[in-house]
Amino acid sequence: MEVDSQEQLQRKQSTYLSLDENFEIQKEVYRGQQYSQIYFARLHMMRTLLYSLVPNWKSHLPVCTVLELEEGKECIIVGTLYKHMKLKPCILDEYSKERSVAPLIKPHNFMHQDDYLVLEDESGRVKLGGTKLSPSVYVTGVVVALHGKETSAGAFFVEDVLEAGLPPQIKQPLKSREDKYVVFVSGLSIGRSSSNPLQFQLLVDHITGHLGDEEEQGLAAEIVHLVIVGNSVEISRGLLNGQNLASKDQSRLSEPFKELDILLTQVFSSHHCDDQHFKVSLLKFLYCSCCLSIFIYVQIAASLPLDIMPGSSDPANFALPQQPLNRCLFPGSTTFNTFRSCTNPHCFELDSIRFLGTSGQNIDDLTKYSEAKDKLDFLERTLRWRHLAPTAPNTLGCYPFTDRDPFLIDSCPDVYFVGNQEKYETCLLKGLEGQLVRLICIPRFCETGVAVVVSVFHLPGC
Amino acid sequence: MATPSKNMKAFYKQKKKNTTGGITKSKSSKSTKPAATDIAQLPHGVPLDIKDADIEEEEKALREFDMNMAYGPCIGITRLGRWERAQRLGLNPPKEIEKLVKSGKVKLQSLFDGRM
Repeated sequence: MEVDSQEQLQRKQSTYLSLDENFEIQKEVYRGQQYSQIYFARLHMMRTLLYSLVPNWKSHLPVCTVLELEEGKECIIVGTLYKHMKLKPCILDEYSKERSVAPLIKPHNFMHQDDYLVLEDESGRVKLGGTKLSPSVYVTGVVVALHGKETSAGAFFVEDVLEAGLPPQIKQPLKSREDKYVVFVSGLSIGRSSSNPLQFQLLVDHITGHLGDEEEQGLAAEIVHLVIVGNSVEISRGLLNGQNLASKDQSRLSEPFKELDILLTQVFSSHHCDDQHFKVSLLKFLYCSCCLSIFIYVQIAASLPLDIMPGSSDPANFALPQQPLNRCLFPGSTTFNTFRSCTNPHCFELDSIRFLGTSGQNIDDLTKYSEAKDKLDFLERTLRWRHLAPTAPNTLGCYPFTDRDPFLIDSCPDVYFVGNQEKYETCLLKGLEGQLVRLICIPRFCETGVAVVVSVFHLPGC
Repeated sequence: MATPSKNMKAFYKQKKKNTTGGITKSKSSKSTKPAATDIAQLPHGVPLDIKDADIEEEEKALREFDMNMAYGPCIGITRLGRWERAQRLGLNPPKEIEKLVKSGKVKLQSLFDGRM
């Protein structure tokens, strides 16, 4: 096999715009505020929106607040839902004098058939009855409009529900007709004993154009962006038990980061070794089949821009929105200006195509407190409710914002992704006003070895 | 929050303007602690010896602003912060409140601050 062809492939470029400003908390000041502020901001923004939608829905009915409800009068009320859950763990249970036999709790889901919903606004709250609003679908924190009437028992019988629906989408025509790819990978979990470093090495080799023949490398040159969606490292629990670390353990603590930094630096480097690679590919790619053997390798000039998001196992803050991972963790990669440490949730535009997604905490929390047929269903619900993480701050850690709720989705993304899921799933969501969103569940790479490649050219509406 | 009442007589008594404070002391003209039986006190025994009638009016107006549900919760946020938030959310809070808070003569926080 001959090596060292003189060809040079140019990696395609695209314009990148970060929209993470909303998720940054550097300017926020904590003055001892509680979560009532963020709930007020959420209710106000959503209620204003729902009030504008109500005339198109049922214009003949009066809109009133919870306190203004009269028995038997049909009307529309808007408020925040609260789901009373019997099995939801409560800190007060520890102090309960009665230690009755606790029902068997499935740790992954706290639903119970006796759960009920309550609607709350500033004036009061009312229990919701009727079968239209299913407690298994909704969670605390969702703002909806309800049509119904108060019963003699003091509950509100729901006849119909209005959700905000998909937000408006700004469609911009694609400037060029050439095909470009964005690679998403999540759950690398470097540092976990079961993670196989060969898998990620193969992925890096492929996207930097070190694997495959000319055709494969041509495809690799069309990759314009790489997004690492959370849980890149995993630090062994034994090291984090609060004890002072011995010096040998201290080096163990930083090993996963060093490994990750070395791998990421390779992504940026356009130089590679002259050795021929014989590697058995363990990766499954979604747009090409496995490839083996050696070829004329071609240098792909220009490094690949990279976004790294924090996840639940990464050394970032616990509460959402997670702040970008500190650049000190990546001494090698930060020298490249195409390395970006991003927030979780992360929103960016690539060639005017809007991407929005999280590392999975919001969807995992919905899985615990509601049910759906698959994860894509949860993704769709968050878009219809126009809120990335409705269970924050109830069961999901959240910063106590005072004047805004940064998780409200104002503009419909073109690609909506969630990381660290069990398996790869995707579907196309169509909105009533012609919005088209590609929903993607990105699986955990250390368990599945699967990365997701999105073809920008083939996105609908582009 | 409990239903707000614009009339706050339940927990603080409106003062007549020329009262010196319930205890008549021969020596000091300034009463340091009004009798507990006479005037209802705020928690923590903060006396309500607001002497200047103008400030009392301003404080009353600010308390009304604090209690107004439409602008959201008043605890854990400064009055100015709450006013600015209301402005940003398009709630059109009265401009007089902004002037009062920015004048610096009144309390920055609502009545309940630090007590809840």
